[in-house]
Amino acid sequence: MTDDYYPWGGEFTACEPQGCVAVALLNIQYNPPKSVAIYGSLKTENIGIEKIIANTISNPWVRFLVLCGDDIRGHRSGSSLIALHKNGIDHNHRIIHAPGAIPYIENLKEEAIKRFQAQLNVIDLIGEKQKEKIDAVIAECIRKTPPVFGEPYIAIRLKPQATVNLTDNRALHSRILIDYLGKIKKRGA
Amino acid sequence: MFSFTKEQKVFDISGISIGGQPGMYPTVLFGGLFFKGEPDFDDAKRHLQTLYDLSKQTGVPVIPDFFIKKVDYIEPILSFIEKVIPKKHPFSIDIIEPSLKIETLEQLASRKLLPRTIYNSIHIGMTKEENEALGTYTPEAAIIVAFNPKDRSPDGKIEVLENGAHLMEAGLLETARHIGIEKLLIDTAALSPGENSGAAIAALPVIKEEYGLPTGCAIHNVVEKSRWLNDFPFAKKTVDVCSNNTIPLFGGDYALFGPIENAELVVPLIAWQDILVSEYTENYFGINPTASHPRRKLLK
Repeated sequence: MTDDYYPWGGEFTACEPQGCVAVALLNIQYNPPKSVAIYGSLKTENIGIEKIIANTISNPWVRFLVLCGDDIRGHRSGSSLIALHKNGIDHNHRIIHAPGAIPYIENLKEEAIKRFQAQLNVIDLIGEKQKEKIDAVIAECIRKTPPVFGEPYIAIRLKPQATVNLTDNRALHSRILIDYLGKIKKRGA
Repeated sequence: MFSFTKEQKVFDISGISIGGQPGMYPTVLFGGLFFKGEPDFDDAKRHLQTLYDLSKQTGVPVIPDFFIKKVDYIEPILSFIEKVIPKKHPFSIDIIEPSLKIETLEQLASRKLLPRTIYNSIHIGMTKEENEALGTYTPEAAIIVAFNPKDRSPDGKIEVLENGAHLMEAGLLETARHIGIEKLLIDTAALSPGENSGAAIAALPVIKEEYGLPTGCAIHNVVEKSRWLNDFPFAKKTVDVCSNNTIPLFGGDYALFGPIENAELVVPLIAWQDILVSEYTENYFGINPTASHPRRKLLK
């Protein structure tokens, strides 16, 4: 069940499958209580955020996302995640008003982002590193016993569509089809 | 081992040659300083001396890469560079935050250090203000990171160089040239295991063949992010150091090998790898190593 809930992989620990809290750790050595659904570190303001979205909306029991620790210098991944939850993305897939260096969401449908915004309440504890205080906020979230958010949403990783077609007939290029005998069947896109 | 049909550019960056056909010029090594904690300048001075000594001994060119993470560190780090780095020797500055990049560019200009500066880096997250600052305070060279968040394959990396992958108005190469930077070093953007980490190496010959520009990456970052290796601490160090070998083996021109503390292990290793590549490429492709190449320096 746990794997079904968290299909995208990443650096996380799954705890209570029906827990309502997910915890994103920013530059902090902290182990949340085992009553949370999932916790793990957030490093990057693009792929890292995508994994958090995919791995929280896939478990409808998760209703809170607690961000704690010091934000990642330069990447500002925590603040960018908060900006995403608040503002969404623009037509270039850039997180609106995100302070991070490369805050783009490229591998999720907008529908998945909307689901994330609707399902999750983001609790901003950026800057907070005291275990007791974070524990108390998590306990408070759990006490609220929020309802399950419908069915799991399994986000499919979007397949990139090539926009550059290299007229490349050299054997270095990756878009070359090779048959089982090792002979080149097709070159180019 | 490779030789490319596309003409390969060789840039002279303040006395260090980078690029060309594999086997011609030695692999350039960037050693990082000040990644963690407060800058320790005494320690840095010692490590730099070791780095330069190793370079002299082996023929492998080295460039220090200064990580600047706080505005308060700009002034002391640039003063350190002025004082400690040999005159005319290049260095790179590695900064993530755009506002810090702009402030550093201004200070580099006022200290007349821009002709020795390799800007690390230009990528799709570049802000308008950063672009303008680069136009005013133009560094000698720049590392262009071919990171494409939607496609991490070699094709995706080409896409972001070529047309910005719809994330920018123009491709990264055109953007950098429009700013006025001609000496462009492509970084193939090594990502975590599970994120097509191998594409950073596969993209080296692809990009060299496509553009003829010097190409490399920080492949050691993949090792750092391989958490399972934490259970094998002794092997982890070996893997970290050896990961750099894959760059010259796949035709790359430079490696950002991580903390300068690893120089004593990495520099001789790359010298060994360069000799291996050179022996073959000279025999098979007729590429002669330059006078300073480790093969000429170490094999008498």
